[in-house]
Amino acid sequence: MSAPMVRVEGLRKRFSVPRREAGLRAALRALVRREFRVVEAVQGLEFSLAPGERVGFLGPNGAGKTTTLKMLAGLIVPSAGRVEVAGFTPSDRRPEFLRRVSLVMGQKRQLSWDLPAIDNFEFNRVVYEIEPAQYRRRLDELTALLDVGEVMRRPVRQLSLGERMKCELVAALLHGPQVLFLDEPTIGLDVSMQLGIREFIRRYNAEHGATVILTSHYMEDVAALCPRILVIDEGRLRFDGSIEALRRQIRPLRRVSVRAATLPAEPAALGRVVLCEGSRLVLDVEPERVPAVVQALVALPEAQDLAVHDAPLEEVMRALFGREEEAAEVG
Amino acid sequence: MRALGDMSDRAGPSRHVPRVLFYVRLVAAQLEMSTLTALQYRLGFWTEGLLGLLWSVLGIAPLFVAVDHLGAVEGWGRWDLVVLTGCFTMLSGLFTALLQPALRESMTHILKGTLDYVLLRPADGLLLCLTCAFRPWHLVEVLGGAALVIAGLSLGAVPVTATGVLAGLVTGAAGLIALYAFGVLVLCASFRALQLQSLTHVMEALMDFGRWPAQVFPPLLRALFTFVIPLLVMTSYPAEALLGRLSWGTVGQLVAVSATLLTLARWTWLRAIRGYTSASS
Repeated sequence: MSAPMVRVEGLRKRFSVPRREAGLRAALRALVRREFRVVEAVQGLEFSLAPGERVGFLGPNGAGKTTTLKMLAGLIVPSAGRVEVAGFTPSDRRPEFLRRVSLVMGQKRQLSWDLPAIDNFEFNRVVYEIEPAQYRRRLDELTALLDVGEVMRRPVRQLSLGERMKCELVAALLHGPQVLFLDEPTIGLDVSMQLGIREFIRRYNAEHGATVILTSHYMEDVAALCPRILVIDEGRLRFDGSIEALRRQIRPLRRVSVRAATLPAEPAALGRVVLCEGSRLVLDVEPERVPAVVQALVALPEAQDLAVHDAPLEEVMRALFGREEEAAEVG
Repeated sequence: MRALGDMSDRAGPSRHVPRVLFYVRLVAAQLEMSTLTALQYRLGFWTEGLLGLLWSVLGIAPLFVAVDHLGAVEGWGRWDLVVLTGCFTMLSGLFTALLQPALRESMTHILKGTLDYVLLRPADGLLLCLTCAFRPWHLVEVLGGAALVIAGLSLGAVPVTATGVLAGLVTGAAGLIALYAFGVLVLCASFRALQLQSLTHVMEALMDFGRWPAQVFPPLLRALFTFVIPLLVMTSYPAEALLGRLSWGTVGQLVAVSATLLTLARWTWLRAIRGYTSASS
C-alpha cells in the first residue's frame, strides 16, 4: 500500500481575535483597551488521504474547513499537531513542497487584473521553472481542455467570472501539482460553468493522478466530485467516509414519490409522509420496505412519475447539524 | 474531449541553473509584469510619464535656481551640496520607482488576503514582495540624480579618485540595503495593523532629512538618523565617500549598520510570516 499523500495528526489551530460591543463608545474604549477572544478554529483533526483521492470538506460556515485547507497548503502555521503533505511539512514552505501543490480560491485571484492571463501564465513559467517546451505543451493542453484559447489573450478584468476561473485553473495547474486544493472554485458560477469546471477537475484527477481536496458551497460539486467526504464542525471531524455512508448513517430512509388519480387512504401505513397534496404523494421509506411500497404505489389508479431516490445531501447535512430552519452550508 | 496527457513531469529547478540566476530571472519577470501593466493603458502610461518627469524636474529645479547662492554648509561647498542632492535624488527615485509601489502592493495583498498566492510560490516570499510592483517612469529621477552627482564631482574642487568612487559605491549599496531593510520593517508592521499604506508616505517625508549633510544635525539626531532610521547612511555618507572624506573605518561601520538592519528585517519578516493568519475567504 502506498504512503499517504496527506497525513494529519492532532491538528489544532487557535486564533486570538479582537472583540467589542456595538457602538461608538465601545469602539473608542477598544482603542485604549482591546479585548481578545481565543477561537479554537481546528481542534485535533486526524485523517489521511491516499495519492489520487478526491476528498470534499463539508461543514457549516466557520467550521474550520478553509483554515484546515490553508494549513495543508502551508499558508497557516498550526498551533499544535502534525501535518505532512507529499512527504513535506507544509509550514516549512520549502520550494520543493510548493512546486507539488496548488491552491485555487474562488473568492481570491492570483491573476493580475490588468494583464491578459497569458502574461500571468508566462510569469508562472519563470516562477515554477518550467522548461519552455513543457510549458508550451501543458498550456496547449489546458487551454484546449478549458476552451480559453482566445479568452487568455484578453485582460483579466474584461473576463466573465467563469472565464476568469478557468484561467485561474490553468495558472494553478501549469506546473503539474500533485496535490490540488480547491476552496469554493465554482462560487458564483452559472450551472453550465459549474458542470464544466467539475468535469475538468474530474478529468485532471483521473488522468494526472493528483490528489484533490475540495470545499464548496454547492453540494452538487461535492456529491459529483468526491467519493469521500470529511465533515468538519467546530473544528472537529464529525464524519469520514462516502456520501452514501453518511446518508445511511444520518438519513437512512429512501424517498419515494408518485402521482396518482387517487392516493391511499392511509399513506402513513406505507412510510413517513413528507407530502400528501392533490395527486402527489412523497414518502420516506425504510430501505428494506421499498420494494413493497413501490408495488403498492404502482397499483394506484393512473399512477405515474414514480421515483425512488436518496435524501438530498442538503437535508442530510441539515439533519447532521440539527438545523431545520436553514439549509446547511458547505464550504 | 481531449485527454490531458502526461503532466507527471513536474516543474522544478533545472540542474544547471544556479539559484542566483533563478532569482535574477524572477526579479526580471516581476519587473516585466509591472512594466506590462504600465504599458497596458496607453493614456495612463503617458500621463504617468509626464507626471514622473514633472516630479523629477520639480525636485531638482530649485537647486539650479539656488546653486549660485549656495554658501558653504558645515564644510560642504556649493558643488559638494550638488553631489549630496544628487545622491538624495537617486535614492528618492529608487524609493518612488521600486520600493514604495512594492510596499503598497504587498500591504494590499496582506489586507485582501491575496498574499496567499505570493507565499505559495516556490521562491523567497520577501523577495517576491519587494519586487512585486514597479513604476518605470520614476527611474528618470534616478538618472537625474546620477547626472547631478557627475556634475557636482566634475565642477567641484575635490579631485575624484578611484578609491573615493569605490567607497561611494559601497556606502551607496549599504544605504540602499538600509532603505530596503527599513521598508521590510514597515511591511512587517502591516501584518499586525492593516491599512498602513500611509506609512510609506511617512517614510517618504522622513527621507527628506537626507537632503542635508550629516554635520548639520546635532549629535543625538545624527545618531538617530545613522543607527535607528539610517537616512544619513543612504545619502550624506555616500556623498562624503564620493568626495573622498570618509575613512574606510567609517565605511565599514556603515556596512555593519546595514547588515544589522538587514538581519533584523529578515528575522522580523520570518516571524511575521509564521504569524500570518490570511484573510478569510
